[in-house]
Amino acid sequence: MSEPSFEDAQRELEAIVNRLESGDAPLDEALKLWQRGEELYRLCRERLENAEGKIEELASRAESARPS
Amino acid sequence: MGAFNRGIASWLGRLPTVWVEGEITELRRQARWASVFFTLKDPADGSCLSVSMPRGQFDAVGGSVSDGDRVHVYGRPELFAARGEFRLRALSLEQFGLGDHLAALERLKQKLAAEGLFAAERKRALPRFPRKIGLVTGNDAAAKRDVLTAIQSRFPPASVLVGETYVQGPRAASAVIETLRALCREEGVDVIVVARGGGSFEDLLPFSDERLVRAIAACPVPVVTAVGHEQDTPLCDLASDARASTPSVAARLVVPDLNELLARLDRARSGLERGARRALERERQKLDRTHERLGRAPRLLVERSRHRLEQSAGRLRALSPKATLARGYAIVRSSDEIVRSGSAVEPGERVDIELAEGGFGARVEETR
Repeated sequence: MSEPSFEDAQRELEAIVNRLESGDAPLDEALKLWQRGEELYRLCRERLENAEGKIEELASRAESARPS
Repeated sequence: MGAFNRGIASWLGRLPTVWVEGEITELRRQARWASVFFTLKDPADGSCLSVSMPRGQFDAVGGSVSDGDRVHVYGRPELFAARGEFRLRALSLEQFGLGDHLAALERLKQKLAAEGLFAAERKRALPRFPRKIGLVTGNDAAAKRDVLTAIQSRFPPASVLVGETYVQGPRAASAVIETLRALCREEGVDVIVVARGGGSFEDLLPFSDERLVRAIAACPVPVVTAVGHEQDTPLCDLASDARASTPSVAARLVVPDLNELLARLDRARSGLERGARRALERERQKLDRTHERLGRAPRLLVERSRHRLEQSAGRLRALSPKATLARGYAIVRSSDEIVRSGSAVEPGERVDIELAEGGFGARVEETR
C-alpha cells in the first residue's frame, strides 16, 4: 500500500481525533485509533520536514544564482 | 516639323507669366553658359519641370541657391523650338522664406491630419521587451552615440541595429525612408527609433517631408521619433507611434530598465519564498494542534469510561443488601438461615439480627 499524501493523512488524523473526542468509540477501538493517529502524525511531521528542507535548498540555490 | 515646333512655341508664348513653387535639383551653372539650368521638383509627387534662367539674373537673386532648396520661380513657359523641349524660362527667383516654409508645412499638416494620419487610435503600443531595436540616424555620431548610450545604459543586453543615413540636405528624406524600410526587412526588429540631433529649422525640414511622414505612418514596425529639441515638432513626430524629446526619453520608451526589472524579480522571488515558508508554518501549527487533541483524546475517553464505571458501581451498590439495611431494614438469621416467616422460629429460640452498622443477638418472645 502506498503512503497517503500529506492532505489525506492530515484528513484521516482529524477524523480520528473527532471520533475520539466524540467519546462514543469503544475503549479497545479507541486505543487502536490513537495508535493509528500517532502513526499519521509522524507521517505528516516527516512530510513537513521534507518540505522545509526543500525550501531551504531552493532558497540557497536561488541565492547563489542571483547576479551580483 | 520646324513649323510645328514654332507654332507650339508661339502658342505657348501667349501664356501669361506665372509663379511656380518647387525644390531645386540638378542645378547646372557654368561661367561660359549664358543661362543657368535646373529642374524644379514637386516634393509631394515628384513631378519635374525644366527651368532655364539668364545667368546674370540668376546670380543677382539666386547666387546662394543650391540643390534641395525650396524656391518660388517667376517665369513663362516656352518651347525650345530647336530641340522640341518644353521648359520654364525664369525671369525671377525667390528663395523660400521662413514664412513660406511655415505656411507650406501648415498646409501639409492640415492635409495629413484630415486623412487621419496623426490620429491617436493609429498609434501602436511599443513592445515591452524588444528583441532588436532599429536605429535610423546620421553618421555624424552625436545623436547616434547619445541614443545608443542611453539605450545600453538602461538595458545593457539590448540589441541595436544601426542604419546610418543622411539626415540633412535634399536627399535626407528619401535616404531616411530607404533606411527605415531596410531595417523593417531585418529579422526580429520590434521597434525603430529615428534619431536626429538638433538643428536649424531648415535642417529639420526633411523630417516634415510628406513622403517620410507617410512612410513612418505606414511602417509595419512601431516607430519612435527623436528629432531635434523639445520645441521642434517636425511632422514625423505627429505620425510616429511615440515621440521623444531627448535620447534618454527615447531609451525609456523602447527598453525596460534592467535594474528595476531585476529588483522586481528579486522582490517576486523573496515573496515566493516567504509564501512557501508561511504555508509550511501554517500546516505545522495545524498539525501540532491536531496532535495535541489526539494526545488528550484517549485520556479523556478513559476518564469518561471511569466515570461511567463509577456510576454503574454506584447503581450496583444501591441494589446491594447493605443499602437496604442502611435504609433501616434488618436481616434476621436463625442458625445462619435468613428468617423470612414468623412460623420459621419458636418462642425462646435465639436469633441473630444484622443491621447496617453491626448487629446483636436476641430471643424470640412470641411468634405470629
